Amino acid sequence: MALLRFSPDLDPVSNLLTLQTELERFLRNPAIGLGVSGPGDFPPVNIFDDGDGVVVMAEIPGMDPASLNVSGQSHTLTIKGERKRETVGDAAGYHRRERPFGEFSRSVQLPDELDLDKAAARYEAGMLTVRVPKAESAKPRQIAVNPA
Amino acid sequence: MTEQEIAAKEKQQVPGQEKTRAGRFFLPGVDIYEFDDSIKLWADMPGVKESDVEVTLKEGVLTIIGTVSTEAYEKLSPLYTEYNVGNYFRQFELNEDVDDKHIGALMRNGVLELTLPKGERAQARRIEVRTG
Repeated sequence: MALLRFSPDLDPVSNLLTLQTELERFLRNPAIGLGVSGPGDFPPVNIFDDGDGVVVMAEIPGMDPASLNVSGQSHTLTIKGERKRETVGDAAGYHRRERPFGEFSRSVQLPDELDLDKAAARYEAGMLTVRVPKAESAKPRQIAVNPA
Repeated sequence: MTEQEIAAKEKQQVPGQEKTRAGRFFLPGVDIYEFDDSIKLWADMPGVKESDVEVTLKEGVLTIIGTVSTEAYEKLSPLYTEYNVGNYFRQFELNEDVDDKHIGALMRNGVLELTLPKGERAQARRIEVRTG
């Protein structure tokens, strides 16, 4: 398992290159089934393993954190919300309109052994990060070997 | 129903770049609206913190640079990805006279909002037509 490690001794560009190469390697990795949603659905997601569970990251810039709805049911994580355009009511016109707006709802199917009850979500700089730990029963445990 | 269909846009890499610094640069998606006395620009740069954005206006060229950090990815191992991350770069030639001393820039939740006030010359003015 390739673990991303960044060295503070390296310059940020080298660290970023490492990250870009790794993200490219797992682009649309067919080994992971997300259920009904896929590439092209909003918001785009990246999924990582952090050793203790799964980390789902989504790029959703310009949201009021209170209006982001993250929920879990069974093995499915759902991210819902509405991306609203800024107030431009009295504009004389526009030159470019490239940013997507509207309501969205994206569900991602996660592996069985996770505990969605213990998931924690955080929104910063337009990135939503949801950490879902492994279920207790799925964690590796030491089995005592008793002498005969 | 007036519900709008929202789709994820594939991130666009900066075309024809030849930079001394290696790595991918992405074009932030922008909206540019024109108002009577200003031009407003919004740029989507998810992953860029408030302190990591740089806006310059020089010789009529507006340059936006957003720098991302690898910090959040420390000790993670990718399983499945739909987008790559990188710094953002975009330039616009302004064909309007902009009052460059009063440009307002606000970075919030990964969106840069720029207010470019029009200079005196560029402001639309109503010209009184006198009847003789």
